[in-house]
Amino acid sequence: MALFSQTSQQGFQALLWKCRMFWPVSRCQQLFAVSFNIPNTEKVSYFSFMTSSSTALPVDSKGTDVFPTKKRSEIDYEEKKGWDEETKEISEGKLQFSSSVGAPKKRLMSQVLSRHKFTSVQPPEKPLQPEEWNRLRESFRSPEIFEEVMFNSMVRCNSPIDVAKSLLTHVAKSNGDIAYNLLIKYLALCVQQGQISEIRDVYDIMKIRFKILESGAYNLLIRGMSNSDQWRMALTLLEEVKKIMIPSRTNYESCIKAASRHQEMNLAFELYHEMLAKDLVPTLDVLQAFFDFSRGMKGAELQKELFGILLYLRENQIHPHKTFVRSIKLWFESIPGGNWRGHLTSIKDSGQCPVCNHQLEDSDLSEEEYNNLRERIIKDVIHGTDTFRKTSPQEFEAFQAFVENRLPFDIVIDGLNVSHIKPRKMQCENLFDAVNCLAKDNARLLVLGRKHMLINSSNWKREIMKEMQNKADFFFAENISEDDAFLLYATLQSGKHCKFVTRDFLRDHKACLSDSLTRHLFRKWQRGHQIVFSPSVEGKHINFLPALRYDCVVQTTGDTWHIPYKDTFEEKYSYQVPRKWLCIQQKL
Amino acid sequence: MHSANMLLKKILRSSVLPFAAQHGMKKDLFPLSRTLSLSLCLKQDNSCSPSEKLDLDAWKKVMKSGLQEEVNETVSERKELSTLAAAREILEMWRLAGRSVPENISEEQLKTFMECPSKSAKKKYLKYLYLKELYKKSDKRKVDEKRERRLEKLEQASKTDDTRRNSFVCLWANCMDRAYSWRVAQSMIFGQPLVFDMSYEKDMSIREVANTVRQIVLSEGCNRRSVDPFHIHFCNFKDDSLYHKEFIKHYREAWGKLLITVTDQCYTEVFPKDKLIYLTADSPKVMKTFDHNKIYIVGSMVDRSIKTGVSLARAKRLGLETAALPLEKYLLWNTGAKNLTLDQMMHILLTLKDTGDWKAALEFVPKRKYCGFVSKPVHELKKTLNLINTLKLGKRQEEVRKQFAKNYSKKLTQK
Repeated sequence: MALFSQTSQQGFQALLWKCRMFWPVSRCQQLFAVSFNIPNTEKVSYFSFMTSSSTALPVDSKGTDVFPTKKRSEIDYEEKKGWDEETKEISEGKLQFSSSVGAPKKRLMSQVLSRHKFTSVQPPEKPLQPEEWNRLRESFRSPEIFEEVMFNSMVRCNSPIDVAKSLLTHVAKSNGDIAYNLLIKYLALCVQQGQISEIRDVYDIMKIRFKILESGAYNLLIRGMSNSDQWRMALTLLEEVKKIMIPSRTNYESCIKAASRHQEMNLAFELYHEMLAKDLVPTLDVLQAFFDFSRGMKGAELQKELFGILLYLRENQIHPHKTFVRSIKLWFESIPGGNWRGHLTSIKDSGQCPVCNHQLEDSDLSEEEYNNLRERIIKDVIHGTDTFRKTSPQEFEAFQAFVENRLPFDIVIDGLNVSHIKPRKMQCENLFDAVNCLAKDNARLLVLGRKHMLINSSNWKREIMKEMQNKADFFFAENISEDDAFLLYATLQSGKHCKFVTRDFLRDHKACLSDSLTRHLFRKWQRGHQIVFSPSVEGKHINFLPALRYDCVVQTTGDTWHIPYKDTFEEKYSYQVPRKWLCIQQKL
Repeated sequence: MHSANMLLKKILRSSVLPFAAQHGMKKDLFPLSRTLSLSLCLKQDNSCSPSEKLDLDAWKKVMKSGLQEEVNETVSERKELSTLAAAREILEMWRLAGRSVPENISEEQLKTFMECPSKSAKKKYLKYLYLKELYKKSDKRKVDEKRERRLEKLEQASKTDDTRRNSFVCLWANCMDRAYSWRVAQSMIFGQPLVFDMSYEKDMSIREVANTVRQIVLSEGCNRRSVDPFHIHFCNFKDDSLYHKEFIKHYREAWGKLLITVTDQCYTEVFPKDKLIYLTADSPKVMKTFDHNKIYIVGSMVDRSIKTGVSLARAKRLGLETAALPLEKYLLWNTGAKNLTLDQMMHILLTLKDTGDWKAALEFVPKRKYCGFVSKPVHELKKTLNLINTLKLGKRQEEVRKQFAKNYSKKLTQK
């Protein structure tokens, strides 16, 4: 520490203060490591000190006396003065710059964001008298934003509502008015604690005081009211929101949940359809609520609606999570006189359900879908905005001619991708093993590569390449061309039986497709046609996992339903396929 | 009316009072004056009996009592607003709620805001306007402070009354301009051409075009001030294009007097093909030395949304040679994209042209993007990088080391 000059120290602290503490540590270090020549041991000790310091900004000593903060480790800065200058707060009316170090632009940004960075005020336990609030306010480093910061921390600590009221009273008495943002924060606190009468009061006051409210207030109000027995109020609020803007999906969510909680299923579905009509994507929570609250209810109409939700999942290739699937199962089993039975199971590779022996839908696309996908791949992925970006017209024509002359292939291999399977081996050996492994049963292979593979090098032995070319057709693209696009094209041209081999998830190519429908088609086709390596890289041989034969979507035959689900709550990648299924069958 | 308002503002803390300047001046005034007097007597009450039990709902009374008259007014005033006015009101409410929304917004900006396709686009646009406003305010404040300081100085000077006599008339800026112009004029005749390819307009959003033009203006400026300027060509430049409009905005009447060549022809028509080199970060070829007999082309494009290979595609289509700066070779790259801004490019090319020294030229690459020059012993840098990555990534150190080895192995990384 003693090595620093004063300015570098200050600049450093400015930097620290600007950054959130998680990742910038590394950045600081780099700057550090580059800008000061400090031996390694010094550096390490300094960084460990940095990481051990907390995210909270140190409040000046007066503040710490007043609010005994718990979650803050005390940091002693030698350059107290420099620090204070760096962390000087501003009100919007008057920006203050300390003209020492750092780019003004960044400084400004950090000051704009600074009000969100205050985390070190502890709200009092009991309501305070106005003069006590005054004292606190004076002792706070930047009195202009004291109330705001205080309310924020009250919401965070879920303080008793009376404390907040006492502060509001203090503000109202000293200013004769309460700013909108404080009212909102107070409202948030009330919603958090379900204080219905307070919410209503705040709403009345806001209506009197302001011509219109904005989305944040409405969100809070709707959420607050929908969880009470005055939930119909939330519906009227929703109508009010519709007048000025499109309600958010969480608005609808609250209202739908409230309606279904009170067994008003028709109303709930009405709202649900209205939401879909506005192109809002319902959360899985809402859909689950429908199943949860219609348990044991009778009615053909209701059943149709809920089947409709399952079909919505199918259309959009959504895989529900475990708890949602449990709700679905329970609902099915609770249908009076329905005789439905559900089992959680996993499907065999053959695509047969072990519970009811039903064969799942295969992953083949219809003729029309297939042609559509092929057209779109050529148009969007290969050509895109400029054919030259991924290939060149001459090259693509040459490739087309090459494929046409040798059709149909059974398996198309991404040569370069496969050649990297085992890092310890020579690249051409990897490819050779793969080709040998796949060349059984007289399958016709096409290997795609780039021209640099033809140049004899340590990784690409000419003899081995020669030998491989007897077993498979090869096409070498230019070194700066995209071989993946060729892979897709060749596979699609060869027909439905053709599979392709690559470890690539093809995400960037999926992203080139412009509409979600085609993207879903692409994923479906990919699941059914991509051969991947089995993860066990041990042993000599390369093993491949066959492509999935069945399609991984919600499916029904009328008296059976099969629903794939995710084990975990978080979103899986779109290329990952859930292996667990819910099988539901009707015993007649 | 206004002065009364000012008075109120002074008395009350105006940061807490939502003063909607556009509407409701009259309405705001009465209740405020009322509450002001009311709050004053309330304060007195308090001082009389501090031991009194705290009334927690007093704030509701204050809020409601001061606003009774307003209620009647607002009810009678309720009428259908135009969409623009409604949008304005919502923005005002957002601002009061503490979101990043500008205080003043012009009709044009409001229309742009309404046309934003999504909620997030709206949010971004508002934040942009908000920050712009902040910068403007702080700049204005700085100017004012400067003026004050100057006036103070003047006062002091007038007190001492000591005017120094100087035989030179202060015409520095003018002379410098003239000298620079001569130099650039010479380069127009004898200098090495440098081409800006202006054919990317349709690949960019309006904001990106504006950014591009700004960068070009900066490049032109630093070219003018250099010892041995390039002869700048704008090729594929269409009249009345967005580029053109933006340039006019920047240069105003100076646009016609700029010492550069602007043409709607393609560079392949102006120069022999074998002399052209298209500079693009996606190029597989790396530039080793600066060639004084070649003509370098820089694509005038800002891609905020990453568009890989657009400029490489242009070069491929025309069959031109391409090159990328040897950033990997000379810099221990750390983070960020390898595409540089046009003014950085200009600085680098000028420095190369004058000195041929890569180290000096690559000083203009933003410091945040690299950890150091590879001119230092590499093992030392490796140590630093490893240390950094250990701290950044913890367990994934192995992986990073591999990555490092890959980056610095002699051959290009191949898929």
